[in-house]
Parts: sequence; C-alpha cells; structure tokens
Amino acid sequence: MDTQLLISGVIFGLSIGSVFFLLAIGLSLCFGLMRIISMDQLLYYAIGAYITYTLFRFTGSVWVGVLGGMVISGLVAFGVERFIFLRIYERDITFTMIASFGILIAGVGVIKSIWGLAPLPVPSPIGAMATIFGTEIPVYRLIVIVISILVYVGIWAFLNKTITGKAIRAGIEDIEHVEGLGINVYKLFTTTFIIAGVLSGLAGGLHAPLIMVDPQMGLEVLPFVFMVVIIGGLGSIKGTLVSAFIVGQVISLGAIIYGPLAQMAPFAIMLLILLIKPTGLYGSKLLKR
Amino acid sequence: MVKAFKWSWGLLLAFFCLLLVRVFLPLPFANEIIIFAIYTMGCNFLLGRVGFISFGQPAYLAVGAYGTAFYLFYFGSNPYIGILLGIVAGVVVALIVGPFFVRLRSDYFALVNLALAVIMFYLFEKILAKITHGDNGLWFLTKMTATPGLDLGSPSDFFIFVFLIAFVVWVLYKYLDDSIFGACCLATKTNEDKLKFLGYSNFNIRWLAFVIANTTTALAGSLYAVYFGFVSPEMTAPSRVADPVIVTLLGGVGTLYGPIVGAFAYTGMKDLISGYIANWELFIGLLLVFIMLAGEKGIWGTLEPILKKIFFRKNNPTN
Repeated sequence: MDTQLLISGVIFGLSIGSVFFLLAIGLSLCFGLMRIISMDQLLYYAIGAYITYTLFRFTGSVWVGVLGGMVISGLVAFGVERFIFLRIYERDITFTMIASFGILIAGVGVIKSIWGLAPLPVPSPIGAMATIFGTEIPVYRLIVIVISILVYVGIWAFLNKTITGKAIRAGIEDIEHVEGLGINVYKLFTTTFIIAGVLSGLAGGLHAPLIMVDPQMGLEVLPFVFMVVIIGGLGSIKGTLVSAFIVGQVISLGAIIYGPLAQMAPFAIMLLILLIKPTGLYGSKLLKR
Repeated sequence: MVKAFKWSWGLLLAFFCLLLVRVFLPLPFANEIIIFAIYTMGCNFLLGRVGFISFGQPAYLAVGAYGTAFYLFYFGSNPYIGILLGIVAGVVVALIVGPFFVRLRSDYFALVNLALAVIMFYLFEKILAKITHGDNGLWFLTKMTATPGLDLGSPSDFFIFVFLIAFVVWVLYKYLDDSIFGACCLATKTNEDKLKFLGYSNFNIRWLAFVIANTTTALAGSLYAVYFGFVSPEMTAPSRVADPVIVTLLGGVGTLYGPIVGAFAYTGMKDLISGYIANWELFIGLLLVFIMLAGEKGIWGTLEPILKKIFFRKNNPTN
C-alpha cells in the first residue's frame, strides 16, 4: 500500500477516534455511575456543533464557538438532568435508554425548527498543513487528537486526584456505600451528567469543521459511539479510549481497502468481540449490580 | 366459559374494527397501519414477554422483504409464494443468529441487534448492490400476476388478506400468552434462576421466542414488499431502527392490543402532524419522554383498566 495514503489514513482514523472518544466517555461515565444509557449525549453533540456554527457566524472565530458550544451543551444537559433523569434514575436501564432516545428525537426536532434542514458549513480554524514522513496532514486534525488526549489526562486526574472524582469512582464500584458515607449521590449524578454533556458539546464543536453540520448528525454517529462504548466495556474510561482509536482506525483504514467496508467493518468487529467476550474489552466486574 | 366468552369477544371486536377501518379510513392508511401492527407485534412479544429490547427489528424486516423481493424480481410472479419465501428467510436467519444473540443481556442485546441492522443496511445497499440494485431498490409491482381468490395486486383485496393475516398472528400471540410457553417466557424475564430450577432451559425458551418474534417481523417485511411492489435498503436505515420500539411503548408494553393501538396512533400522528409541521419527530420524542415519566404504561395500558371497568363490571362482581 502507498505509504502516504497509509499515514494520512492513520491520522484521519485517530482524529475520528478522538471525536468518538469524547462522546463515548460521557456515555461510559453515565452508565458506570448512574446505570443509565444516555442517548441524549448525541443531542448535546449536535447542539455543540450548531452553537459553534452560530457563534462562528457572529464572532468569526471557531474556537469561541467551541467554547460557547461546551457551555450551552452543559446548560442543556443540566436542565435535562434536573427535569427528566432525576425522576427516572430508579427505573430499569432499558427505560432510561428509551426516555433518552425520546429526548434525542425531540431535540433533533427543536434543532430542525431553529436552524432548518439544510447542512451548514463550518470552516477549519487552522488551514495550515504539517508534513509528517513526507505526507501533508491538516494541522487541525492533529490538534483534535491532542485535545482528546488532554481530555483523557484531565479526566484521569479528576477521577484520581480530587475528592469529587474519587467519590465518583467509588460510586461506580458501590453506590450504596458512598451514600452511607454521607455523600449526596444526586449531586455526584448531576456533576457527572454535566461533565458528560460538556464533553459531548466539545466533541460536536471539534467535529463541526471536519464535516457538515446537519440536524441528523447525532443519529448518524449514534451507532458508532455505542459501538465504542460496547467494545471498550460499559463504564471503563481506559477501555473507551482504546476502543475509540480501534474503531477510528477500522473506519479509516477499512475505507482505504474497500469503500463500503468503512461503515460495516466496525460493526462486524463489535459483533465478534461481543460474541467472544460479552462484556467488552475492559468491562468485566462492573455489570454485576 | 369465561375464556370462550373472551375469545368470541375478541373475534367480534376484530370484525368490528375491520368494518370501522374500511369505512372511515383511506385504504393506503389502513393497510399501512395493519402491516405496522404486525411488525410491532413481534417487537412487543420480545419486549413485553421475554424482556429483550431490540433496536434491530428492521434487520429482520429487511430479510423478509428481500426474501420476497428476490423471488418476485428474479424467479416467479406469484405473491403468495413470495410471502412464504419471505417467512422462510426470516425463520432461517433467526435460527442462525438466535443462539449467539439470546445469551446476551438485555441492553447488549439491543445494541448487537442495532449492529445487525446497520450491517444489513450496508449489505443490501453496497455489497450486494449487483443483486439488490443498491439505493434504487427492486421494482416488481407489474411483475406480480393476479391470483385467484384474493388478488394481492389490488389494494382492497390486499386489505382483506392482510387483515386476516394480522388476525391470525394476533390469535397466535393470544394463544402463546395463555400457554405454558408464554408463562415460561415471562419467567425468563422475571426470574430465570427459578425457571432453571423448575427444569426448563432459559436458552431454548429465549431462542424459540426470538425465532417466533422475528418470523413475525419478517412476515411484516414480506407484506410490505408485496404491498408496495418495491423494496429498498431504506427500510433498515439507521434512523428508523427505533420505530417498532417506539410504537410498542406507545401502545403499551406486553399487552395484546397494544401494538394495534400503538401502530394506529403512531401512523395517524405521523400523517396528521406532518401535514401541519415538518418535524413530527419533536412530538414523537416528547411523547416518548412523557410516556416514560407517566409510568411506561402506554396508551392501551392506561385505557385497559378503564374499559374493563365499563364492560366487565356485571360479569365480575369482585371488581
């Protein structure tokens, strides 16, 4: 295979994987701590992308847009958590899944009525190209990868070095003991949900210049994000990172080998992994609650 | 005695519905509702009885539809044989994938099925494009020959046929609900350890239930194929995977009439709302959230106790 094609393919896969990672980490945390499957993260992703577009039109800077997108996504996530999820935490997991899917569809409807149906373009904030091994790579893609790794480090530090983070980790292990220690778990739930929403918004904002912003974008990435979470194992951050990059590579290298493979290969791999190891790569102990 | 009464009541109700639907609703709308109801019955059985939520029903729908379409497009012209072949295709696929899928937990089951639906979509759209003609789909409306008795090519005859099929499927599920097998299905959902202790195999029960439900879905797929005379990969597109789950919940999970009420309400709302406003998803989504917040009983689940109170008060003094 052509080396230049291979290198650009790998970088492309890493940047796609980064976006998937940012999205999946929220889902993974929500499942680990609250035992909910929060499909509405995909809504915050779309909101992040749309706010990025709007703020870009007003201010001319994509980075301001991304920041704004994160803030708005976090606020929407906070509202949704307060008004809807607080009432259904106790329910069966499949019902939170369906309720969150309802929120996602309703949100797509709202987005359609505000911004219209047509796809909207967001230009890349950095037009420069970097040269790696003689291959021209857009710098923006590299920045996306770096940001996602920074987020991973940040999340790791948050979960391991701060009291709230430690409480969240303890809650993933055993929520009742945490409650017994006098910690308000519902505050933890809200914090986690907002973090997840903000990261999803960040993913949307970063992904916006790479694709067109359209109302269905959340539904389009939904299968892939779930696949990332499932392959990595629900509730595991490290597994999410690993599987996000695996999926990114499979999509991008699969497309180089044979076009239609790009969308199908990841699903085949997910089927295989689930049939061999039904809990995903890193999610073993978590599922016994 | 009571059981016989209920059976005849159901039969009467069915023919009353037939009359009502035929007189008051436009024919395409009625056909669509009934096929959708059959489609939902499979999902309803899986979700309400066995406790499996499946986001991949369109995969089995497409299997049935393409089973029929391949026959009608390439080999023959008799729609009845086409529908039979669609059902056979559904049974075969469900038998093959069943053993791998039913041993997964419920939420994983949903996502693996989603994966299967997406794989089917790309399989029919891209990889088998030479046989399926990709996005253009297969057109065979004119190739179907008129059959003696009910001519499936004409919408009004098709309506009678599909209604009879729906009724048979409904009776089958009614029978399953009352049988020991139905009780076993419910037991795998609520307490599988106890069922194992009683000497039943959870795996076999789930597998059989999976095959029954997905054969129903494949049947709905082949009915769609014959009705429209056209099949395209669009029916298993990732954006449509949740339709049967939504309709099941809308109607009421695990109830017998739920799928019919749900299909009626869903198709009706879709037609009604999309006439006024472009984005009817907003309403469907809000409705879904509302149902979840109100206690996940659905329309029929809420209506049933009220109707029972009205109709059965005299028969059952204990109520």
